[in-house]
Amino acid sequence: MKVTVSLNVNGEAWELSIEADRTLLDVLRTELMLTGTKTNCLEAECGVCTVLVDGMAVNSCTVLAVTAQGRQITTIEGLARDGELHPLQQAFIDRGAVQCGYCIPGMILSAKAFLDEHPSPTDGQIREALAGNLCRCTGYQKIVDAVQDAARVLRRERRR
Amino acid sequence: MSELRTVGKRVPRVDARAKVTGTAVFAADFSLPGTLHGRIVRSTEPHARLVVIDTRRAAALPGVRAVITAADIPDVRYGGALKDETVFANDRVRYVGQPIAALAATSQAAAEAAAAAIEVRYEPLPAVFDVEAAMAPGAPLLHPDWETYTAIPLLKREGNVCNRARIVAGDVERGFEEADRIFEHRYTTAMVHQGYTEARAALASWDGSGQLTVWSNTQLPFEVQNTLAEILQVPPGKIRVVVTAIGGGFGGKLRVGVEHFAALLAKKAGRPVKILTTTEEELVASYPRQSTVIDLRTGVTKDGRIVAKQGRIVFDTGAFAGSGPGVASVATLVLAGPYRIPNLLIEGLAIYTNKTNCGSYRAPSGPQASFAVESQMDEIADALGLDPLELRLRNIVRDGDEGPTGQVLSSVGLEECLERAAAAIGWGERRPAPGRGKGIACGWWTTTGGSSGVYVKLNADGSVALSTGAAEIGSAALTGAAQILAEELGIDVADITLVSADTFATPFDFGAQGSRTAFAVGNACRIAAAEVRRQLFALASRELGVSEDRLALGERHVSGGGERIALADLARIANQTGGGIIAHGTFIAPPTPYDEKRVEAHVYPAFHSPSFHAHAVDLSVDPETGDVEIHRYVVAQDVGRAINPTYIEGQIEGGVAQGLGQALSEEIVYRDGRVLNPNLTDYKMPTAVDVPRVESILVEHPSVVGPYGAKGVGEPPNIEPPAAVANAIAAATGVRIRSLPITAEKIVTREASACR
Amino acid sequence: MTGAHFDYHEPTSIAEAVELAARFGDEARFLAGGTDLLIQIQRGRIAPRHVIGLHRVPGLTGVETNGRIVLGGGVTHRTIERTPAFGGALRGLVEGAEVIGGHQVRNVGTVAGNIVNASPAADLVPVLLALDADVTLAGTRGERTLSLERFLLGPGHTDRHPDELLTAVTMPGLPARSATAFLKAGRRKAMEISVACVAARLTLDAAGERCLAARIALGAVAPTTVRVHAAERALEGQPLTAEALRRAGALAAEAAQPISDVRASAGFRRHLVSVLVPRALHRCLERARGQA
Repeated sequence: MKVTVSLNVNGEAWELSIEADRTLLDVLRTELMLTGTKTNCLEAECGVCTVLVDGMAVNSCTVLAVTAQGRQITTIEGLARDGELHPLQQAFIDRGAVQCGYCIPGMILSAKAFLDEHPSPTDGQIREALAGNLCRCTGYQKIVDAVQDAARVLRRERRR
Repeated sequence: MSELRTVGKRVPRVDARAKVTGTAVFAADFSLPGTLHGRIVRSTEPHARLVVIDTRRAAALPGVRAVITAADIPDVRYGGALKDETVFANDRVRYVGQPIAALAATSQAAAEAAAAAIEVRYEPLPAVFDVEAAMAPGAPLLHPDWETYTAIPLLKREGNVCNRARIVAGDVERGFEEADRIFEHRYTTAMVHQGYTEARAALASWDGSGQLTVWSNTQLPFEVQNTLAEILQVPPGKIRVVVTAIGGGFGGKLRVGVEHFAALLAKKAGRPVKILTTTEEELVASYPRQSTVIDLRTGVTKDGRIVAKQGRIVFDTGAFAGSGPGVASVATLVLAGPYRIPNLLIEGLAIYTNKTNCGSYRAPSGPQASFAVESQMDEIADALGLDPLELRLRNIVRDGDEGPTGQVLSSVGLEECLERAAAAIGWGERRPAPGRGKGIACGWWTTTGGSSGVYVKLNADGSVALSTGAAEIGSAALTGAAQILAEELGIDVADITLVSADTFATPFDFGAQGSRTAFAVGNACRIAAAEVRRQLFALASRELGVSEDRLALGERHVSGGGERIALADLARIANQTGGGIIAHGTFIAPPTPYDEKRVEAHVYPAFHSPSFHAHAVDLSVDPETGDVEIHRYVVAQDVGRAINPTYIEGQIEGGVAQGLGQALSEEIVYRDGRVLNPNLTDYKMPTAVDVPRVESILVEHPSVVGPYGAKGVGEPPNIEPPAAVANAIAAATGVRIRSLPITAEKIVTREASACR
Repeated sequence: MTGAHFDYHEPTSIAEAVELAARFGDEARFLAGGTDLLIQIQRGRIAPRHVIGLHRVPGLTGVETNGRIVLGGGVTHRTIERTPAFGGALRGLVEGAEVIGGHQVRNVGTVAGNIVNASPAADLVPVLLALDADVTLAGTRGERTLSLERFLLGPGHTDRHPDELLTAVTMPGLPARSATAFLKAGRRKAMEISVACVAARLTLDAAGERCLAARIALGAVAPTTVRVHAAERALEGQPLTAEALRRAGALAAEAAQPISDVRASAGFRRHLVSVLVPRALHRCLERARGQA
């Protein structure tokens, strides 16, 4: 059954006619060609498909696109503003938190949702917040450090 | 050495921005207009005669554009050291998951429906699932025709044994006679997966002239090119392999993965075909790390000198040899250990069983052999009443010592690694509290040889294009190579654009494997840079009227005699007058001499520019639940020279995390030839809360061969974690677990500790 | 793409939702967070012809904490984690919710989903059992309420009729000097399906010594999440000595009917029960005494 779905992705409105069984991940990658959202386990175990829906991190592999109708979706492509990287993106570069990079879009989006709620986290809280995002390259350490760095930058920005 | 501008600095990796913005294109992301979805149909039986494969119903389904089986393709056996593999099972299947057909369709759903419509009938054959049964007389043979297969001549094969590599040194029996104590133990390790987050993927497309292009996340594009040529019976010159961004490899993407299926389907369908494997396929039919059974017999004197060691490591290589013969060879060097032992008899065997074909995983054989060697070192120390650190210090190799096969070792940083790791972990207090203990383990590893070529070209704006056949699998090795090039040319890494891993456009490279990329490509960059300098100075000398020997490179200029000219100007002049400034740099590590009389059937007889390392861990064990909590983890690694400390730490932190997975939680569980946990719910890779902060100590005993003294760094951090953890758990609990993974259940039930 | 072909329905009331469910019967599935449903569809375990999305059905996401505790069926694990009223005596609820999957799953996964999915290893359900939860189901023939314990029948199997929607979970308010706790064991420290998990609740007498009421519920050691009445009875009316807690653990281990699978052996699961039950009870004891 085809359904008509209006999606708001990174501030852009899309009107799509899709099969009802299609996941948000599938629609983002193959209809909107937003391949920054990655595909892997398709079972909500690895987190590479993480996107934000109304600011909340979700595994887009287990969300039907039709249920995201009318909600604000943010993918990694929507994080930088006017070519200026989000502090998380910059911190991931500066800290050497990126290796192969495949988990990184999901990791950064999980971290963003977390920092929006917890501006001054402990390392332990960061690790818990990222437990649903597997990374096989980094051992997570530089990722945790990068999230701390970004948190500092964001706190400074908020004070301004 | 004068002050370095770039080498040794924490320069950000060149592909970082693309990766944090989601714009880096991985193989899973790549498609062309009209691309079909490819799917592989796999055996559901571990060992059976294939009686019927009927694809007619599937081929007639809507959207299906190609269906192929063994009957449709050239009858070719391919492989590495041993050519025993076919693209599809022909008359018999040898493991659950073995490809028996492939198809391409216009949608994933159509491909799924077609796969379900293929009718396969099997006639079960007696199967064999463990190495000891497979070696027993009268065991069912996986390959009854094994004698007819092509193999490199030095392999020693017999039935289900597809190689038996050996090191023999001194006289091991006499050595045991000299020993005051002899220790014998058996250790076992489970099959584990590389766990890259991006599954293997490839897209293949043929053009009208019969040229094939394959976009793939392979680590070895040139190897894939050659294997495809063999399988497709097409000259390599017609096959272009382009490497996309790679979502992790760790050795799992060395050999042809899905490229050949995509290419065969694309040829049949006349359209591009893409295949992206599923997580289930990855855990059932990829190239994971072999499970092993290891027997070690070690003779020592009362004062803790090892005088003899007899060891055998048996790899379950699965239904085909894969990397088995080579891995079994490498293993003997790890099993001998970084110790001075006059009498050795070490064997490495690769055995066929009815399981998936195992391959290479970061430091192939390293973690398994190290787990046995370094666990036993602690068992010996405890029995002799010696401190485990002290026992190691009494036996480790130092400068001028011989390795197990007679290679003479130099720049050996092992003692420093042990001392510094021990000091950092607070070794003086090995059992600081009940249930808490510290463990240490050390080892050595190779920097794999093979040749690398680079082109270095001056762009019109004075920036530099570095073209390498090596792929970037995430380690930032190519950023390291770029740093070396930048250093040599007096430019910044930001001035370098990287073109990587295209078998038509870039020079040959032996591939992103064996901790060799920064080492070999970096050296090729130095050679190329010297040639670029020569060309620049010749041109600048003419332009400036200053003799070449007075010229210097720096700040994107050539200067001397009070004159200077910008690289951009030199590039423009060269482009207008002489075809531009371009150099070809090549490097191959010189062979490492060893004693040929000490080895048999050995495809990896010496470790080139070996690295040395020690890991130390401090952990607690909940005696009732078996829960392990790691408090601190220290790695001291002799990296020769740290080209980029940030990414070396990254290699160490990531390698330890993977190693802890193998130590504590990961295993592919087989029962009767079937994987019981083919999903990430039950294949348990460490999460951010499972991995401790890792403290890295970079020890620098420069290699004479490596660029700026560098040694290979990528694989070693993965080797010692299981042993270090096992030793710490034993210190904490008194329970010695001799099988990986060391699960809570094993700790609580004291499994495998009975022979203490 | 899930590979399934289903029609999608988006009712805007409970009545409409159950009407649709009644019409399609076994061919329909309700969709809330989707974190279990879509995985089951993608693994080919189920192939519903109709999926009834609950996102626009009002009245399912309420949380009531004055007196009795009511959780709407659509309340997410995220909401439970962030409900301040669950910080005290009801902390076991938070402890059960916060270990389910990653935060991406907890952001959308629901109480009703966790219950109706009827996994023997569900983490939140033992806590609900320990809190004497009732479930309320709306169907075409009206509403009914029954105890959660009776509702759970087997792995993946409940007493829910195809047309019924689990709309709310209701628990009586806790008396003074009560506390809850939840503990689980798994191979990793996160993203784990429990190898064994335990929820406990204790209510103490005024002196804080004797047990007035005890509840112990287990996960992953029986065909359903289960209460262990024998262990509860052994505690009630008794002084809460270390020995009493240990004995409750032993009784619980005896009552457990674990299986051996790829995650653990039956014997180890039983052992874990004997360890985790006293620990969870001890936590309750400390917490209940801490309130005084």
